[in-house]
Amino acid sequence: MAVIKRILTKRHAENAGNSLLTMAYRQLSERLLTRTITKPKPTTAVSASLQALTAAALSLPGLMPATAQAADEEVSFLYGYYEESNRNLFGVNSRFDPIVVDSLLGSSKIKLSDRLKFAFNYTQDTWSGATPIATAPLSFGGNKEGGVISGATPFLQNNGVLFDKQLNPLRQDALTGEYIKDSQLVHTLSSASPEIRKQGDFKLSYEWDEATLDAGGGISVENDYESRFGNLAGRWDFNRKLTSLNLGLSYTDSDTRAILDHDATPYIFDVGRGAESYNNTSGSGRIQKEGRNNVLRGNRQDWGTALGLTQVLNETALLEAGIGYTRSTGYMANPYKVVEAAFIDPAQTGEVLTGVSIGLLEKRPNERNQWTENLRYVQYIGGLDAALHFDYRFFHDDWGINAHTFEADWVQPLGHGWTITPKVRYYSQDAADFYTPYMASNQAFSKTAVDQSGRPIYVEADNPDNGNVYFRDKDFNLVDADGKIVDEIAVNPINKAIPFDRNKLPGHYSSDHRLSGFGALSGGLTVSKQFAKGVSFEAGAEYYTHAGSMKLGGGGEGAYADYNYYTVNAVLKVDLSALSLAGSEHSGHAGHNHHGGHAPAGVMFDHMMDKAGDVMFGARYMNSTQSGAMLHGTNEVSDQAIVQQGCGDDGCFTVPGGMNMNMIMLDLMYAPTDWLTLMLMPQFVDMDMSTRELNGAPSATFNRQSLINHHTLHEHTTSGIGDTGVYAMFKLFDEAGHHLHGTLGVSAPTGDVGVKFRDTHRIDAGFQHYGMQLGSGTWDFKPSITYSGKLDKYGWGAQLNSTIRLEHNNETGFAFGDMFQSTAWGSYSLLNWLSTSVRGVYTVQGSIRNEYNGTFNKLGPVDYPANHGGRYWDVGFGINAFVPTGSLQGNNLSFEWLQPVSDDVNGYQLPREGALSATWSYAF
Amino acid sequence: MLALTQIPTVFAAEVGSKAPDCELSSINDKQRYNLQQFHGKVLYVDFWSSWCPPCAKSFPFMNELDRDLKDSGLQVIAINLDQTHEDAKTFLAKYPANFTVAADENEKCARDFDVKAMPSSYLIDRNGVIRHIHLGFREGAAEELRLVAGQLLAEKPEPK
Amino acid sequence: MKTIQQALLLALCICVSGCSPVAPWQRGTLAKPQMALESYPLQSTFNAHIYGSREAATGSSAAGGGGCGCY
Repeated sequence: MAVIKRILTKRHAENAGNSLLTMAYRQLSERLLTRTITKPKPTTAVSASLQALTAAALSLPGLMPATAQAADEEVSFLYGYYEESNRNLFGVNSRFDPIVVDSLLGSSKIKLSDRLKFAFNYTQDTWSGATPIATAPLSFGGNKEGGVISGATPFLQNNGVLFDKQLNPLRQDALTGEYIKDSQLVHTLSSASPEIRKQGDFKLSYEWDEATLDAGGGISVENDYESRFGNLAGRWDFNRKLTSLNLGLSYTDSDTRAILDHDATPYIFDVGRGAESYNNTSGSGRIQKEGRNNVLRGNRQDWGTALGLTQVLNETALLEAGIGYTRSTGYMANPYKVVEAAFIDPAQTGEVLTGVSIGLLEKRPNERNQWTENLRYVQYIGGLDAALHFDYRFFHDDWGINAHTFEADWVQPLGHGWTITPKVRYYSQDAADFYTPYMASNQAFSKTAVDQSGRPIYVEADNPDNGNVYFRDKDFNLVDADGKIVDEIAVNPINKAIPFDRNKLPGHYSSDHRLSGFGALSGGLTVSKQFAKGVSFEAGAEYYTHAGSMKLGGGGEGAYADYNYYTVNAVLKVDLSALSLAGSEHSGHAGHNHHGGHAPAGVMFDHMMDKAGDVMFGARYMNSTQSGAMLHGTNEVSDQAIVQQGCGDDGCFTVPGGMNMNMIMLDLMYAPTDWLTLMLMPQFVDMDMSTRELNGAPSATFNRQSLINHHTLHEHTTSGIGDTGVYAMFKLFDEAGHHLHGTLGVSAPTGDVGVKFRDTHRIDAGFQHYGMQLGSGTWDFKPSITYSGKLDKYGWGAQLNSTIRLEHNNETGFAFGDMFQSTAWGSYSLLNWLSTSVRGVYTVQGSIRNEYNGTFNKLGPVDYPANHGGRYWDVGFGINAFVPTGSLQGNNLSFEWLQPVSDDVNGYQLPREGALSATWSYAF
Repeated sequence: MLALTQIPTVFAAEVGSKAPDCELSSINDKQRYNLQQFHGKVLYVDFWSSWCPPCAKSFPFMNELDRDLKDSGLQVIAINLDQTHEDAKTFLAKYPANFTVAADENEKCARDFDVKAMPSSYLIDRNGVIRHIHLGFREGAAEELRLVAGQLLAEKPEPK
Repeated sequence: MKTIQQALLLALCICVSGCSPVAPWQRGTLAKPQMALESYPLQSTFNAHIYGSREAATGSSAAGGGGCGCY
């Protein structure tokens, strides 16, 4: 409390120098206490770092409960989906869909020795959709309808907003012309192209009988934000393990690098000269010109410590208490959020005052000290064999935020491995001291500069800051400072303008809804099922409701900012130690097709399960890259030729500079009988593409040039769930070292084929390139036949496979070409656990049929269906490791590099650089 | 003084002290055991519960120990401390034991041995003296336990 | 809020002082999966990420361990 009071006092002291603004600001704040405010968006810079910190804290080994049941060695995957409700825009029809996030988490733990454990986690989030970037009175019209495209887009550079003398916003009635006080606020929404965040982190733990020491670290990477973190934690058990003491320390270092491009023009003040204006108003030099982009850079560091105590209370209850302190310093603002500021010239008379409103990038303090105190209580409920979990957490910081979190979970086992867990959570927070939905400043936005004698000052329009000043003499001649008449045409004079005084704005301001006062209530349910052989499955869902009116003690933001979201998630977990634990009857069961003759990592459908009841769990990763000089058929081709021939009559403007694709596939196999193996393969993909302008491209219209800039100034990414494969594998022949099986299956169109670019200059940028979509959009038939053989240390095999589109076009209008592939390989075992392989691959793929049926701006060869597919030769070099015995028995890890040998492309395309495949599987 | 009189029971389970005797019952039938009846053998006394994961890991090891050293005079006794026999039986169905398994119904044996962790194993020499106490079980502990058992088996019993 | 904290602290003190000693073999109930402090760690990570992107109070919970007397 003392801290908060001190801050309030400090702020008042700061503001004392400009009482007018203070008054306006105070009035505003007071009004807002009862009215409403803002909300921001999910995960840009700030949240990502919060996330990183949270993840770091959660992965602090000492902070994770070590239950009797926690498996020593385990692999688990989570897929989660988040979707927000629409925001209330008061009758304005937004152009944007609400935010959705796809998350994928993979987690593995293994023992390196009896007491040394290693854990690795991988996280990937993709989000897209609309988010509030500012808040303003409804009368400002921050969501502007009309123009070239349908639906509202952000527009916040308003000249002529109206206020009464008490600085209440006014709205002019369309019918009567009357001015009506209208304090209704509304968010301004903007949207982004899909963005992706990837995080990898690890933890190494050493266990003594009564203590554990953990060290971990990781990195989280986004286009505009990167965090690196490390942590240390220790746990000491004493009192015969009735009490544990935990101590954790974490450090995070994060960099923001945000491109503030022309798309922000409608809502970030003077972004054209943005560097100066932001640097002016913020008093910092964060924004620099880099090439053709304005780039905002910031660094932030977080140090966190936590101390916890866990106590067994009795045979049926457990209590944990903890305190934490985190100190953050540096750039903690969100580089895309603005605070709408209205400037009202105090010289005005009359009842209706006119103001100029602009969006200023938010400013937060460079320091934040945060404290948390938490209690967790777990009570066993005897009669029901259930457990009640109760958590309470108190958070406070020196930004003026106090927050309370209450959570209760009821974990109810139902028998046969089923458990059902309902939960309820309530959260409430106060607003930050510097939170304001918008600002009204009692000063002119800009004034004409005059000298001491009252003469207007002129400067050179082309170079206003060069220090030369001019005046008019009494004959209206332009004269320089010495009174000499100058050449008016050469000088090109304009009035020197004095911009508003930033010192009359508050020191810090933000309209980020995460810093506003609100309450949130959520409820959820998790169902889990433990199968035999250490496999378990969980499914969870939660519904969350955010409302200013639910804030503890009242005074939260207005109802305009309320929203809801829901999440669903599914988890698959395999306990790797279950097999070795279950005794020795499994040894000798490690065989499958692994010994010696394992196929290279890049070959799918390469083996079946041996026996009825066998299960395999695996993950595949593939990365492929295209870059280099454009090809036409097998030959490199000049820009000139592409411009003239690559894009039909329109001509080509751009070509891709490079493209990357990453795929993660989960591989679940089950053999109901000896001769049949069923397989399910969900996929997650992400891609990025850079684009360059072609030399000698035809001149473009304004709109087209805007789109070209949009493509060439940024790398574009897409990411999310890909198509899902369902297959059946049939054993055809299996004897004396020779094995033959056929696979029939379909790929279901679960991947999105309607991914679009974000708008630019209020132009609908339309669909992304064909190759950047997340799936095929069509149901595809995927047959294959595989032969494999082995003799001593040698293995060999061959496969024919095909992808046949079962539809002529998908929901967005096109269909990829059919694909046929043949491959053959040989392998040699160097050791009983290690083998190498070499293989050849020939692939033929047809061009795209039909084309997009919606807005699509064709700029380069990638946008024309004929420039897809081709005939390709590759050679693969692989390595394969298999664990034949021990606690990790049945695990297999293989890698393969596929080197392109020859590309013969249809039309004009980028050459392939190669592909890396990594496959892990666990059969039991 | 009262406190002092209690000390001997506590000290009784130290390395070098005489092992307490225990009355034990079988999980499956009415058979009863006491530790005294194995006098002259080297005893490997293990306290375990069905809910304890390291206990499950120790069972294959105790089977091996029993198989390899039984003929040299080692007696493995695993004393179950589950509240219900059913839990123990389910566990034993999953992790079969070839050695002697008994229940300590009133927990007296566990208290007399002052069991500090689950599992806890006590190696008792042919003279009934506790020679080694091992708390918990990890795979790496097997070698050490086997070594100690071997050493104790090699010792000659003191003439009474 | 202050009151709630005080009440919880008081409860904590009472509990700790009033704890009955639990012998290592009496921790079967505490070792049940439903008694784990974190029942669904992966889901908790996912949820914490979402909460962290929607609320001002950042992560950093403390403690863990204890529970069963297993080594």
